[in-house]
Amino acid sequence: MSTSFFERVTERGQQRLPASLRDRDWLAFVLVAPGIVLFLSFMLFPIAFLIYLSFTDATHTGTVIGGEANFIGFDNYISLFTDSQFWNSLGVTWLFLTVSVVAKIIVGIAIAMILTHARVRGKRYMRALVIVPLGFPEIFSITVWRGMFSSARFGPFNEILSMYNSAVTSLVGVIDSVIFFAAVSAPEFLLADVPIAWFGSRWSTFASYVTTEVWLAYPFMVIIIVSALQDVPKELHDAAKVDGAGYFHRFRHVTLPAIKRPTMFASILTAAASFQQFLVPWVFNRGGPARDNELILVYGFREAIELNEYALSSAIMVTALAFVGMFMWLAVKKGDLADGVGNDD
Amino acid sequence: MIDDLKTTIKQVRTGRRSVADVGKTIAGSAGAVALVLVVMFPVYWIISASFSQGTALLSSEGLFADPSTYNLDAYRWVLFESDFFWEDGEFGQPGAVFNSLIVVFVTVSVSLSVIIPGAYALSRRKFRGREKILYGYVLFTQVGAGLSIATLVALYALFVNLGLSNNLLVLGLFYAAGAIPFNTWLLKTFMDNIPISYEEAAIVDGASQWQVIREVILPLSKPGIAVVLIFTFLAGWNEFIIAQTLLQPENYTLSVELYALATDEYQTPWTEFAAFAILFALPVAIIYFAAQNYVESGLSFGGMEG
Repeated sequence: MSTSFFERVTERGQQRLPASLRDRDWLAFVLVAPGIVLFLSFMLFPIAFLIYLSFTDATHTGTVIGGEANFIGFDNYISLFTDSQFWNSLGVTWLFLTVSVVAKIIVGIAIAMILTHARVRGKRYMRALVIVPLGFPEIFSITVWRGMFSSARFGPFNEILSMYNSAVTSLVGVIDSVIFFAAVSAPEFLLADVPIAWFGSRWSTFASYVTTEVWLAYPFMVIIIVSALQDVPKELHDAAKVDGAGYFHRFRHVTLPAIKRPTMFASILTAAASFQQFLVPWVFNRGGPARDNELILVYGFREAIELNEYALSSAIMVTALAFVGMFMWLAVKKGDLADGVGNDD
Repeated sequence: MIDDLKTTIKQVRTGRRSVADVGKTIAGSAGAVALVLVVMFPVYWIISASFSQGTALLSSEGLFADPSTYNLDAYRWVLFESDFFWEDGEFGQPGAVFNSLIVVFVTVSVSLSVIIPGAYALSRRKFRGREKILYGYVLFTQVGAGLSIATLVALYALFVNLGLSNNLLVLGLFYAAGAIPFNTWLLKTFMDNIPISYEEAAIVDGASQWQVIREVILPLSKPGIAVVLIFTFLAGWNEFIIAQTLLQPENYTLSVELYALATDEYQTPWTEFAAFAILFALPVAIIYFAAQNYVESGLSFGGMEG
């Protein structure tokens, strides 16, 4: 029996007082209203204002109120949709979303499966340790990762590459002394050219964003996948083993179906988060080099705060909001799907 | 642990467990440990760096510094010379901690005062629009996290025009507004689990409505309220980009100071940065997990707990 996301959200655990106390609606309204008003005044009102701005020619904060901005209709959207910078930004955002969601799923499943495996001793402690990053402030994790990708000679990743280089060189040195009749030196293509300026080129920057994004999100994925894995009845695995199913068969036909729906729901949520990723590119190098890696929110934020293009920026943000709305719709749709899992057994 | 080892040895001796089987378990566990170490490497690095002031951090031994060279100089710098407590470390001008605490105080007090009544009404009363409100809150919590950045553009313009941009109280209010959906939802679920019979018993004994709320619901919700308090605290403490956009240097909160250290124009002072980052993040990470123990369901309310 499947309940809808809607019902579950609102009805689960509902207990109410007897009918005689229920019909005093006004008190309930008085109690709920301040929260709603406060929330909406900082959320709905700015969204409305944003939409209004996107139809004007406001350029900097001074023109935003005070009647200096003129209504210009859809001009901002037209100039936006003909701007290659916008399409680059939207493309990079979707690419970032796709790559990082796939990576998050793979990393999440891998960690979850290893840390629930029967052969692994002390897995409960390891699971507790591995989700610790969940408790860190986002700005902490991101600035630390910025350090990891430091372009300095002794930045952690550059240093790891140097270690790798010297490992290769010494390995080749061993081969060289074994094969005494010929001189062998390490081939160039096996060696990394340290120090690497990670934020210097487009795709290494992109890779650094993805790495960080995956690290930020994996604890969430691991928690959800682990709890789904623990719900898989052990008998199913045993039965499959008796029937002679190998490891990959069991993974594909027993494990995967059991974790598919929770993983999918988690993926939608984390995809929405990736789409709205702002801090990673902003803290790393403001979406650089040049403007190659400006994810959509960075693009919009920069146009307003740094480049004084408020109206254009508003149009960008409204476009981004439309996508976020799409994710909300998707979450509701797939939320129904995810619910069926818990109630099937 | 040692008992486990003894049993294993006994099992192998008596032939009930093969050596290969034990070997597989050891290999599997070692692999898992290796994985955990790789994943947690950034955490190790930042901790190690924070203890490595003036030593070999910037050398080829930097990554795995000799623990005998560890020292607390970087922490001393953060506490007594940076803007962490006092501006430039000189007693007098309050520094980033105090700015953060002002923001957090506003966030916590404002949000609790609207969240508790809201959660009570949503949990115990039936009124029109109740489902829609809950629905909106949950959707925002799960999907709309980036909305605040999108709307920041409009808000920034408004705040600048109204002269409210460099104001810690307004910032705290803004965070409070953002913290409402998730925490109202959380407290509502908590209140749902308080048995209705307690209230009925109080009503039978002649308690008025307010007495029921004051003497039954509120005391029984204390753990839930404590968790909400922690989460609203974290919302104010952790946020960065809005603070950075709105505030001027004299009002910088800890997160903005941390960012300023990390993106220092010339060269990032890694050891000082590491110590600052740890002092900023470690207390809240501990608090976070203390709270998380209370709300096992808090993370899995997407329906995954089955």
